[in-house]
Amino acid sequence: MQLIYIARRFGVFLVIVWLAATLNFFLPKLSGQDPVRTKLLQEASLGGYVHAGIEDMVKQYQQKFGLDKPLWRQYLSYIDDVSHGDLNYSIANYPLTVADMIRSAVPWTIGLLGLTTLFSFVAGTILGALLAWPGAPHWMRWLMPPLWALHAIPFFLLGLVLMYLFAFQFQFLPIFGGYSPGANPGLTLTFVLDVLRHAVLPALSIVLVSVGGWALAMRGMMVTTMGEDYVTFAEAKGLRSATIFTRYCIRNAILPQTTGLALALGQILSGAVLVEVVFGYPGIGALLFQAIEENDFFLIQGIVFTVIVALGFATFLLDIIYPWLDPRISYRRG
Amino acid sequence: MTDKAMRSHAGRRDVIKGGMATAAAAMLPAGIARAELANIPRDKTLTLIGINSRDGRWVDYELWNPYAIGSNHQNGPNLIYEPLAYYSAFADKMYMWLAESFQFTPDFKQLTIKTRQGVKWSDGTPFSAEDVAYTFNTLRDLGPKVKWGVDVNQALDEATVTDPYTVVLKFKIPSPRFFFFATYKYDIGIYMVPKHIFQGQDWTSFKHYDLAKGWPVTTGPWKVVESSLQQKVFDRRDTWWAADQKLAPMPQILRNIWLPSVGEQESAQAQITNQSDFGGPLQPATFPTVMRGNPKITTWSGRKAPWGYVDWWPISLYLNNEVKPFDDPDVRWALSHYIDRKQVIEVAYLGAETVSQLPMPPYKPLLPYFDAVKDLLAKYNTIEFDPKKGDDLLQAKGFKKTGDLWQTPDGKPLTLDIIGFGLSGSAMGPVLSQMLKRHGVTASLSLPPDFDNRFQKGDFSGSIYGHGGSIREPYDTLRLYQSQSIAVPGAHAANFARWKNPEYDKIVDEVYITDPENVAKLKELFRAAMEIWLPALPDIQLVQNYHRIPLNMTRWKNFATEENPIVNNASWHLTYNLVLWNVQSAEA
Repeated sequence: MQLIYIARRFGVFLVIVWLAATLNFFLPKLSGQDPVRTKLLQEASLGGYVHAGIEDMVKQYQQKFGLDKPLWRQYLSYIDDVSHGDLNYSIANYPLTVADMIRSAVPWTIGLLGLTTLFSFVAGTILGALLAWPGAPHWMRWLMPPLWALHAIPFFLLGLVLMYLFAFQFQFLPIFGGYSPGANPGLTLTFVLDVLRHAVLPALSIVLVSVGGWALAMRGMMVTTMGEDYVTFAEAKGLRSATIFTRYCIRNAILPQTTGLALALGQILSGAVLVEVVFGYPGIGALLFQAIEENDFFLIQGIVFTVIVALGFATFLLDIIYPWLDPRISYRRG
Repeated sequence: MTDKAMRSHAGRRDVIKGGMATAAAAMLPAGIARAELANIPRDKTLTLIGINSRDGRWVDYELWNPYAIGSNHQNGPNLIYEPLAYYSAFADKMYMWLAESFQFTPDFKQLTIKTRQGVKWSDGTPFSAEDVAYTFNTLRDLGPKVKWGVDVNQALDEATVTDPYTVVLKFKIPSPRFFFFATYKYDIGIYMVPKHIFQGQDWTSFKHYDLAKGWPVTTGPWKVVESSLQQKVFDRRDTWWAADQKLAPMPQILRNIWLPSVGEQESAQAQITNQSDFGGPLQPATFPTVMRGNPKITTWSGRKAPWGYVDWWPISLYLNNEVKPFDDPDVRWALSHYIDRKQVIEVAYLGAETVSQLPMPPYKPLLPYFDAVKDLLAKYNTIEFDPKKGDDLLQAKGFKKTGDLWQTPDGKPLTLDIIGFGLSGSAMGPVLSQMLKRHGVTASLSLPPDFDNRFQKGDFSGSIYGHGGSIREPYDTLRLYQSQSIAVPGAHAANFARWKNPEYDKIVDEVYITDPENVAKLKELFRAAMEIWLPALPDIQLVQNYHRIPLNMTRWKNFATEENPIVNNASWHLTYNLVLWNVQSAEA
């Protein structure tokens, strides 16, 4: 039964990926823009001079990238390529490949957003649980209004404020970048500490905004859970307050949070675009922003496809592990 | 507990543990092992914020072949590939470089270039005429596949090496400007590549990047020691032929670090806090803050407006001459009279700008040409603000005012949808559209993401854009308005205004075959061209373009400035090396 369940879920995963990949192919094309011409003309604008024969160059590279073919043939090539894991060349950065560009950006995004997502989840969940728990210290109630307020602020806006305070006014932390100019990139303690120092401000802007959201959701679920009969029964049995809090309340209330976490982890690859842009952080969000600006179809498609696969896979994994997390959920249909 | 429940319990823990382990692994810092950088003190390092990478990354950090279309010389290759010659429009001086001399035949169909002796690539291979001939012939063969290919292909028949230091270029057509075209100035020039490395490579996909092999090789004073998303690091080479031959001083800078550009605010903060020594360009409104924040910051014009120098790219309001009613010169002149350029400068640039009379910058070598049309400019004053004249011109053409708005002779509103891009669009666009509205034109502004596409294809009525034309003599600017050429078969016509005049085209062709040193004849031809161009006014002249680059004197001095005008100091231009050789330690 488990194998059938997994196979069915995997089939759904494949269909989702195919549908999303198809949309991903056609949506950028709706803009009607020509990425090759855009690239060459943007460069001409930057250089202030339009090369001779720019139309010939456009034709050459349209041919090279297969953009001169009918749309249906481009689509079949695209599906064939992605099914083999080939994300093609970046149009705006030829001869760099999309896979190479994503590979160089992904570790930064996973490092930043993976850490901040997990930290926000853990801190927000514990905080939310405590806020609902009558036995929690009273001063904790004062934490909620500022967290709610911070939750309403966009990441990048808070990022700008933090940057002004800590990087410019007090100069504790660097203004932008992934590591210091002139640093030796490598797996050394100095470099790792340098990277972490540069990640503090972007991470803080995400964590401060996200914790409130997780806390709010957890608090709501805790309130519902605390009203359940089994909690009343546990209290009647005379179980210790800490046991009821962790084993009965948190454990049951955390399930929807787990779903949220899986989806949030899947979305990591799409990056916190504006935070990365504001802090000059070389992650995948900023790469996507750049690809959209340049109409680099292949790069947009490559990044979005990777995100789709990551999200689909996270959902698939969630489907698989949920019955482990909650024994009430069965692999059996109905 | 049942067996099933036990299995389930153990599995759950395993899953959670496994998940945590995976997450922890994913969070490891992303470092990419590279060769160890030498330890060079900060005060021997010049840290620069580049352009073209506004999302905080050097996407092209592996691309050191400047001919690949994804590559851009503005992002570092301009430090690596030395030219045959440099030209500074500010000093009006040609610096012969890898070429020692050049000589055209009287018909300009052959060019002999003598290359300099004693020049070596950084891998020890001597630089020779073979490299020059190979570069030109390959560009001719590759044509539209690479940058500058079509330009070379249109002119060059064959480049032949006659001895190790002599190359003879035979042209298909008279090409009196070919050497100057290949010379580095602003963003134009031919990068000389090492034949022993590029031969056999596909220029469209070759990256010329492998630090272990010493790539990119160079003849210049800088070698790439690190190139990543976050920084491009160039260390000084201890041996440089030009210093040995006393052509240039050995640079005092031991290391250049190029950081990818970020937003205006971050860039300004980096200047104020001395994290950067050489800025990316800033907007006029940012300078007072930067100056207040750091007394060591200066600019080309010192610590006062306009905080920069005039670039070669004067900005116009282009009107599509193929779109009614802007196909009528009187309508174009009327709109020109409605524009109060002083107010545009006050509002859009806080007064830190100058007007532009003609579509070329008022550089020293071009001043004789401005003088040649002084009387014409008095008659056709391209920067005159006189709404009454504008009204008269429109009324004479049958336009009528209904309320405050002009109606065309066929009863439609006089509508002008202006498109723009970048700083010029966002700074001037709103002022211009509002100004035209005040005088009865139904004007609007947009900054579309596909601006370049629309502008180049002629999908616009009005557009704010500049002119990448002349810096030394008038041909390149005149060529911008040529609709077709007989002198240069297959020549690409920029002609953004889509204006056509066969007489004008003929004059420009004559300019093309005229010796660029023959100023007297060029002045005559320029005047003849302007006699046609000025009454027609294909595009409306607005303002000069300024480069406003903050220069931090905390660690370094002797940058190029108004008082020391070696060359314009744009780090992205091909002449930036001239700036770097002259920079001195602030302690010296």
